[in-house]
Amino acid sequence: MARYGMVFDLKRCIGCNACVIGCKQENSLPDGVFFTRTLSEEYGVYPAVNRVYIPTLCNHCEDAPCEKVCPSGATYTRPDGIVMVDPDKCIGCGSCAVACPYDQRSEMKAEAFKDGLFGTGEITPFEKQGYPRYTPGMVTKCDFCSGRVDAGLDPACVVTCPTDARIFGDLDDPNSKPSKLIRERGGRPPLPEKNTRPKVYYID
Amino acid sequence: MAVKDLPIVGDSFKLGYRLQRYWDTPMASAFFFGELGAGLFFVSLLLESAQGMMAGLLITGLLKTYFHLSHMGVPTKSWRAILRPDRSWISRGLIGIVCFIGFGGLHLLNVMGYIPGFGGLLKLLAGAAALVVMTYQGFAMSHSTAISLWNSGLIPVSSLTYSATAGVMVLLASVPESAQFLIPVALILHLVVAAVLLSLLHAARHGSPGARKSAELLTRTLYAKWFFVLVCGAGVLLPVLLLWFAGNVPLMAMIAATGTLAGYYTFRLLIFKAGVFEPIMSFRP
Repeated sequence: MARYGMVFDLKRCIGCNACVIGCKQENSLPDGVFFTRTLSEEYGVYPAVNRVYIPTLCNHCEDAPCEKVCPSGATYTRPDGIVMVDPDKCIGCGSCAVACPYDQRSEMKAEAFKDGLFGTGEITPFEKQGYPRYTPGMVTKCDFCSGRVDAGLDPACVVTCPTDARIFGDLDDPNSKPSKLIRERGGRPPLPEKNTRPKVYYID
Repeated sequence: MAVKDLPIVGDSFKLGYRLQRYWDTPMASAFFFGELGAGLFFVSLLLESAQGMMAGLLITGLLKTYFHLSHMGVPTKSWRAILRPDRSWISRGLIGIVCFIGFGGLHLLNVMGYIPGFGGLLKLLAGAAALVVMTYQGFAMSHSTAISLWNSGLIPVSSLTYSATAGVMVLLASVPESAQFLIPVALILHLVVAAVLLSLLHAARHGSPGARKSAELLTRTLYAKWFFVLVCGAGVLLPVLLLWFAGNVPLMAMIAATGTLAGYYTFRLLIFKAGVFEPIMSFRP
C-alpha cells in the first residue's frame, strides 16, 4: 500500500497561486474557503530584500492531532495515509481546527452555501454540482484530491502548478520523485517540534 | 527578522501568526456556564444546599447546552460527540455532563425526599461527575499542541479553580447565612486564581514564540486593557477587597460575586481570543 505525501520546492514556487485556484475549482470551495494557500514573506533590509513563497496545505500527519481530538469519528486516515473527513459524521465542533498546528481546517459556514460565490443568493451550476459533497456547517480540509488519486491522477494543485514546485507521490517507494527529493535535498517537515509527523516536506 | 517579530496576519496569505478563530464567544459562554454550574453544584453539594444544586444543574443543563448547540456547525448531529471517549476530551466531557445531570438530578430528588435510598452513593457519583465537568474543558484545551498558550497543565487547573471560585461566590451572594464559612474559602480561592493567572502568564512569556505572542496580546497589546481591568481588577482584586473589608454585608457580597463572574467570563473569552497558531518559519532560506 502506498503512503502518499507531497514535497514543496521553495526554489521553484513563484507565488502565482494557480494551485489555489485549481484547488478551489476542483473542490468547489465556497467563498473564503481555501484548502491550500501560498503564503508570502518579505525579509531583509533594502537593498538586500527578498520575498519567499511558502505553499501550505493539510500535511496529512502520521500522528494527526485533528483525528485524535475528533469526538464524532468523522476524521480518519485511509490505509494510504490520506487523512479524510466524513461529511456525514462531522458535527462542526471545531475541535480539529484548534488542534491542527498548521491552521489547515476550514469551516464550511452554512451561509456560504446559501449566499453563493457572488453573495447574491443565486447558486451557479458550478456550485450546484460541487456543494453536495459537503454538509453545511462541517469543518473540513484538503484530502489530496482523493477522488483523483483513486483514479490514478495527481491532486489538482500539483497538475496546475506551472513550475513543478509541488511534487506528489508515494513516500514509501524509495524511487518515487518525492522520496528522492527528500533524500537528496534534505526535505524538512513543517513545525517538527509539534511531533505530528507530517507527510508534506519542504526543500530549498 | 526573528519569529517573535512577525505580525498577526489574520486570514491573509502572509506568513505570520494567525489568531485562533474557530472557538469564539458561544464556545466561551458554553465553557463559562458549564464550569459555573458544575462549580455551584459541587459547592452546594458539600454544603447541602438544594437550591444551589438545582441552580447548578439548570445552568449547566440549559445554558451550557444552548451555547454548545449554537456553536456547532451541524447541531442536529451533535449527539455524535459522545462516540469517541477513547481519544477525545469532548466525548469524555459529554459523558461527564450526562452523568452530572443524571446523578445530580437523582441526588437532588433524593435530598428533596422524592426518591428514597442510595443517598450516599448518588452524592458520590454526582460529586465525581461535577468534578469532571469542572475540569474536562481545560483538558480539551491543554491536550492540543497547536496553540501554545493552551498547551499547559495550568489550563485544567484554571478551569477547576475558577469553577470552584464562581460556585462559592454565587452561593455566598445568594445565601448570606453561609458567609461565616464561605468568606475565608472565597478569599483563599481568589488568591489561588491570582496565582494560576500569574503562573499561566509566566509560562507563556517564557514559552514558545506562539505562547509569547499570546502573552503579549493579553498583557501589552490587543486585549491588555480587558485583561487587566476585568480579569485582574474586577475578577480578583475587587472581590478580595470587598470580601476582606465588608464580606458580611450582603450587597457587598453580591457586588464581589458579580466582579468574580465578570472576570471569569472575560478570562474564558480572552483565553480563546489570544490563542495563536505559530508561523512556519523554519523554511525561510
